[in-house]
Amino acid sequence: MNAMFENPGLLKLDLAIRGARLGEDFGKRQEIFRVPTLLDHAGRTLEVILPEDVFVNVPVGERFTRESPYLLRTNGDGFAVWNGEKRCDVRVVPQPDFYTRSTRSGLPMWQVGTAYGGYLAINPATGCAFTRDRTACRFCDVPTRVGERAAPLSVADVVETVRDAFAEGIIEFVYFHIGYMEGDDAGILFLEPYVRAIKRHFDTLVAVQLQPPRSNEWIDRTYAMGVDALSYSIEIHDADLLQLHCPGRTEHVGRDRYYDALGHAATVFPSGTVWSDLIVGLEPAESTMAGIDALVAMGALPVLSVFRPLDNTPLSDHPLPSADDVVPIFAHLFHAVHKSRINMHWVRDLSFAVTPLEARFFADEEIRTNAGLSQFYRSRLGTIAARNLSRLRRRLRVRQVSDSFDSSHL
Amino acid sequence: MPESNVVIDTRPLWRILLSRSRPLALLLSGVAIYWWVRSLDTPPGLGEEGQKALAVFALCIFYWVFDVLPLMITSLLAIVLLPMTDVLSSKEAYARFGNEAVFFILGAFILAAAMMKSGLSARLALTILRRFGHRPVTLLRAIFVLNGIMSFFMSEHAVAAMTFPIILEIIVALQAAEGRGNYARALLIAMAWGTTIGGVATLLGGARAPLALGILKEVTGTSYSFSEWAAANIPFSLLLFGAGWVILRFFFPFDLHDVSAAEQAVHDRLLRIGRMTLQEWLIALVMIATVAAWIFLGEEFGLASIALSAVITLFALRVVRWRDVEGYVNWGLILMYGGAITLGSVLNSTGAAAWLAENTLAQWATGPVTIVLFISFAAILITEGMSNSATVAVLMPVAIAVAAQFDIDPRLIAPVVAVPAGLSFILPIGTPANAIAYSSGFLRVRDLILPGLLLQITALGLFNVLVWWYWPLVGLTP
Repeated sequence: MNAMFENPGLLKLDLAIRGARLGEDFGKRQEIFRVPTLLDHAGRTLEVILPEDVFVNVPVGERFTRESPYLLRTNGDGFAVWNGEKRCDVRVVPQPDFYTRSTRSGLPMWQVGTAYGGYLAINPATGCAFTRDRTACRFCDVPTRVGERAAPLSVADVVETVRDAFAEGIIEFVYFHIGYMEGDDAGILFLEPYVRAIKRHFDTLVAVQLQPPRSNEWIDRTYAMGVDALSYSIEIHDADLLQLHCPGRTEHVGRDRYYDALGHAATVFPSGTVWSDLIVGLEPAESTMAGIDALVAMGALPVLSVFRPLDNTPLSDHPLPSADDVVPIFAHLFHAVHKSRINMHWVRDLSFAVTPLEARFFADEEIRTNAGLSQFYRSRLGTIAARNLSRLRRRLRVRQVSDSFDSSHL
Repeated sequence: MPESNVVIDTRPLWRILLSRSRPLALLLSGVAIYWWVRSLDTPPGLGEEGQKALAVFALCIFYWVFDVLPLMITSLLAIVLLPMTDVLSSKEAYARFGNEAVFFILGAFILAAAMMKSGLSARLALTILRRFGHRPVTLLRAIFVLNGIMSFFMSEHAVAAMTFPIILEIIVALQAAEGRGNYARALLIAMAWGTTIGGVATLLGGARAPLALGILKEVTGTSYSFSEWAAANIPFSLLLFGAGWVILRFFFPFDLHDVSAAEQAVHDRLLRIGRMTLQEWLIALVMIATVAAWIFLGEEFGLASIALSAVITLFALRVVRWRDVEGYVNWGLILMYGGAITLGSVLNSTGAAAWLAENTLAQWATGPVTIVLFISFAAILITEGMSNSATVAVLMPVAIAVAAQFDIDPRLIAPVVAVPAGLSFILPIGTPANAIAYSSGFLRVRDLILPGLLLQITALGLFNVLVWWYWPLVGLTP
C-alpha cells in the first residue's frame, strides 16, 4: 500500500479505483466547493494533482468510496492524501471562480463548461441519442445524473464561458464532447459552429470527442474546420462485451467502424492527437491489451479509464478491479505506445483516465526518464509552439476544392 | 456525405511546403529577372529607356507564363512600372485605357451577356439542333457548326459555356457515355473545336483580335474594319471546319445509331423556354442591326462606337438591367487590355521591340514567308500554355518590329499573331472551351492530344497557305 505513495501513477490508479473519503475539515475550505450542487451535476469527484503533475479525478461521494483506505484532508494551507500510515501532499483543484458567474443569457457558467485538468470540457448538445433509444452504455450515469437539456447551448454562451475560463488562467485548451447523434456526420455539423467560434475568438487548441461518422470525408472536414485532436472512444475491445455493455455503440455505429475511423483519423491528424478510451475492468486484461495493440497499430493513442461502479447505473454492483490486476495493462500501454513512436505528449492531464505518458510510471526506470519532453510541452513556449504548428500544419494540409477551380480560371 | 469541398493533402509536410512556396519563389524570380535585365550593360542599338521597357516586358512575360499573378494584375503592373521608371508619363500610361479596342470588347461582352441572359442564344442553339439533329452524323455536325457560327458573333468562351449544358443533357439522354462512348467524346470535342475555329473568324469571337488591333493601331496608326477582318479569316475558318470534321470522324467513329432520345431532350428544353419573348425579339433586332453596322458603317463610325451605341440602345429599351449583365463581363480582360496595349506601344516607341526582333526572329528568318511561319508557329505553340490574350500581348510588339525590318505590311501582323493565338486544340488548359469540355469527365487527355495535334498542324499549314495565296485576293498584300 505504501508503495503507492512512491509512484504517482500507481497512486492515481488506486485513487481512481477506490476513491477517497473526505476529512471533516474539508467542508471549511469553501474555495473548493464554490458551487456545492455541482458535485451532483458533474459527478461526485474532485480534481486532485499528485506529485509530478499527475492529474486524477478522485471519486469522493460514491457508495464504494466509503470503504476507501484513502482520506483526503487539509494539511495546513494545502492538502494531503492519507492512508493511515503515510501521507502524500497533493493539490486539490478548487472549483474555478467562473463557476459562480452566469452568462448574459442567465445560464450559470458551470452548466456550460467544466474544468478538468488543463482543459474546459463542454457538451453543448441536449443529450445522447443512445439514451433516447434506450441503448445507453451500462456504465454511464449521465442520463440519470444530468438528464436531457431542453435546448443545445448557444454559441454565445459557450464563447462567454470559455473567455472567462481563459481569463482565470486555469485552462489551456477546449474540449467538446457529445454523445451519439443520428446522421451521417454523427454530430460534426452540430459542433462546427462551436469549434469555429472558439477558433475565431481564441488562440487555443480544440479537442473533440464524439462517435465516428459514417464516412471518412466527415473526418477530413473535422480537421479542416479547426479541430486539433479527436477521439472516438471504443471503450471495450472485446466484441461480445462491447455488445453487452454498449449496445448503442454496437447497433448504431459498429465496432469495426470505430477502428476504421480511428485509422483514417490517424492519417489526417498529427501524431498523438487521435485517441480512444478503453475501460479497464470490464473485460479481461488480455482483451484490453489486444485493444491497445490494435489502436497503436493504426496510429491512435489508447487512453485507459478505470471502471467505476457508479450509483444509478446497471453496473453499480459490478466488482471493482484491483490495482494489482490492472498494473500490467498500464505497463503494456506505455511500452506499446513508446515502441510505436506515437507522440504521447499531446494527450495529457486527463484526470478521468491514464494517458500513455502517465503510464510511464509503470514502465522500467530506464525508459521512464525519456519522458522529459513533457516539461517543454507544458511550458509557455511549448504551448505557443503547439498552437502555431497546428495552425501551420492545417494550412498546408487542407485544400479547399474551390481553390483549385479558382487557380485554373475555370 | 458532405460537399466534397475539403481534401486533406497527406504528402510529407516538407513537400507541401515546397509546393506552397512556389508562388512566392516565382514572384521573387520575376523581380530578379527584372533587376537582372536592368543591371546588364545597355546593348548597342538599345537605349536606356528601351532597356527599362524590356525589363518590364521580361517581368510581365515571366508572370504571364507562370501565372504568378492574375493576367490582368500583371498588366496593371506594367502600367505602374513604366511611369515609375520614367519610361513614359503616368498620363500617357493611363490614357491607353481609353483605347478604342477596350471599349469595343466591353461593348461586345455586354451584347453577348444580353443574349445569354435573355436566353436568346440558347434558343438559337436549340432551334438549330432540333432542325438538324435527327441522325448521329447530322447532330454532331450541327453542334460542330453551330458552335462555330455562334462564335462568329459571340465570345467563344460564352458560346462554350452556353452550349455545354445542352450537350451534357444530350449525352445523358442518349446514355452515350455508357462504357465511355466515342459519340459522347465526339460531341464534346465538336463543341470545343467548333467554338475555337469559329472564334478566329471575326473580331467578336475572342478578346485577342481586338487586342491585336489595339496594339496595331497604337503602334502604327492602322487597323482593320470588321468586314476586312472577316473577309480575311472566315475562309480559313471554313476550311478548318472541313479539316476538323474529317479528323473528328476518323478518331471518334460512331458507336450509336439512334439519337431520338437527344431529339426529345432538345424538344423538352425548347418546351421549357416557351415562346420567344419581346425582350428576345428586341435583343435579336439590336444584334442584327449592330452586326450590319459593323460591316457597313464600321469604318465611318468606329467599331467601339457602334458597340456602345448598341449597348445604350438595349438599356434605353429596358430589355436588360445592369445587374443582369455585369456578371457576364470579363472585367479582368478589360484591365489587361490597357496594360498590354501600353506595354506594346512603349516597346515600339523606345525601340525595344525592334532590338528584340533584330536579335531573335530576324536572326532565323530568311524572308517574309519564314517570318509569317515563325510568328504563326510561335503563336500557336505559346497559346497552348498561355492565355490567348497574353500570347498576343507578348508577340505583337516584337512581330510588328520584325515586319518592319522585312518590309512586311504591319497590318498583316495582327491576324498573323491573333488568329493562330486563338487555335488551341491539344491541351485542356489551352483554351476555355477545351477546359469546359474536359471538365465533363467524359474526356481523357489522350482524346485531345493526338487529334488536337493533327488539327493544330493542319491549321498552321492551312493558315500559312492562305496568307500567301488568298489574302492578296482580299487586299492584304504582304
